Amino acid sequence: MIGILPATSLDRMGGKTLKDTWIRYYRKPETTGAVAVAGSPGLRSIGKLVVDSLITKMQPELIAELYSTHFPLIYQTTPSYASHPQLPGVSGVTIASGRVGFPKIQFYFHPSPPLILTQGCHANFAGQYEVAEKVLDFYDEVGVSRLIVVAGYGLRGKDVCCAATSRRIMDGLKEQYGVEAGYEGPFYGFSGLVFGLAKRRGLDAFCLFGRTEPRPDDPESPDDEASEHVLRTLDQMLGLR
Amino acid sequence: MKGQNVFAYEEAAHNNLNLINSVLLLKAMQVTIRLKEAFKSTGSILVCGLPGIAYVGKLSVDHLIRGLGAQLVGEVYSRFFSPYVLIGRDGVVELLRNELYYWTDGAGRGVFFFTGNAQATSPEGQYYIVDEVLETVVGFGVKRVYSLAAFLTRKQFEAPSVYGTATDLSLIEELKKYGVLPMEQGSISGMNGLIFGLTRLKELEGICLLGETNGYQTSTGHYLVDAKAGRAVLQVLAEMLDITVDMKPLEAQAEQMDLLTMRLADFEKQVREELRKVSDRDPSRYIT
Repeated sequence: MIGILPATSLDRMGGKTLKDTWIRYYRKPETTGAVAVAGSPGLRSIGKLVVDSLITKMQPELIAELYSTHFPLIYQTTPSYASHPQLPGVSGVTIASGRVGFPKIQFYFHPSPPLILTQGCHANFAGQYEVAEKVLDFYDEVGVSRLIVVAGYGLRGKDVCCAATSRRIMDGLKEQYGVEAGYEGPFYGFSGLVFGLAKRRGLDAFCLFGRTEPRPDDPESPDDEASEHVLRTLDQMLGLR
Repeated sequence: MKGQNVFAYEEAAHNNLNLINSVLLLKAMQVTIRLKEAFKSTGSILVCGLPGIAYVGKLSVDHLIRGLGAQLVGEVYSRFFSPYVLIGRDGVVELLRNELYYWTDGAGRGVFFFTGNAQATSPEGQYYIVDEVLETVVGFGVKRVYSLAAFLTRKQFEAPSVYGTATDLSLIEELKKYGVLPMEQGSISGMNGLIFGLTRLKELEGICLLGETNGYQTSTGHYLVDAKAGRAVLQVLAEMLDITVDMKPLEAQAEQMDLLTMRLADFEKQVREELRKVSDRDPSRYIT
């Protein structure tokens, strides 16, 4: 486990004890006013699909990775590691092309427009706050001025609805882009908590929810159509494609 | 001794200062109370009602906050709350949190109210949050704590009674004057009970008022709000604090909940009846 840590991280830890959550930096971009876009596995992977799609199309630079001992290696109990207590995600180290990988959050940087694309990961029940706080620390360090969270919702309604950290932002989204509130209720997991903690820190943030039909038998079956709706709205807002 | 940090008791027990410092540091990292900068008022009373069985405590405190026009003066955040947020009907996101409100009667008496949209999920978190809140309000002069909770019973009753317990016998005698039945035994779960328990450890005056309820739950396990129990508790509390509260909104809510409960009971009866018919037709089916 120690092998994935850069020397600087070992120094910070005093070379003795492993921190619960840490970031491995590759480069700190000199930027101000960047917009962070964050998505994670969850309801039919809409958030994850949106961020993955942006990364594929925009070819941003991987600038940092967040690791945590709170990321799941094994399911101790079904509800512990999930975006929703009843929907378990993926746990354990990953093997791809013969190489081992750890559960992690990845941060990518795109210079123009300045974006920090964030591939989220759900920590266990006790570690979600710590991981979300660390992500917001990182946003602060790299000069993020606004956060857009992308996710799915499983109710009847418009293709895309939104939520925000303030009424002012909600009014602006409706006026400029015709996107309105449409989901009311709990928002579980990495994306929800980063969104909520952004409000507490005074970081302007909003969330775009793509409408989907929940599939309890296969909650992570990708809904490409719903993610495309969210991508179109994002494009309209940020001029991405 | 009043307002003493409860974890300091461990110091006497273990005589290990480093351990105590570690515990206090851990608590500071896990619980944050954000007070309004300008808030410097004093108050001698804290009334606590967090969401719990039939929402008796929370309903009562929320009603008092609205009725008296108490002001939000503090927000309590913690990693011990469940890791999700709430999206409101207007689309605005809220973290799970507890809240401190303050009201003054204009004659120098100040009252704090402690409520919120959740309780911490773990016992450890409940201890940390309650201890931090108590330390904070004691710093503002609080000497007496009223905790409002539910008294769960299977017994059928016309009107809910109010049970009570207190940190000393003289307070229990005082409760009797208001028609409160002494709670002889039992347990008070969650933070509404814990705050009462820690009040005793901190050598403050503590009173817990419990509204009798059948704690009706939906098939998904969610409690329905018992406005009748809330109203009963509130009537006693209002009398003890000598404050006037308009009970009409609670009465209207109680009537609505009565109707809903009756409909749900009818519906469940129908379902049971249908299941019984199916069972009669096909005796091989096993129905629990």
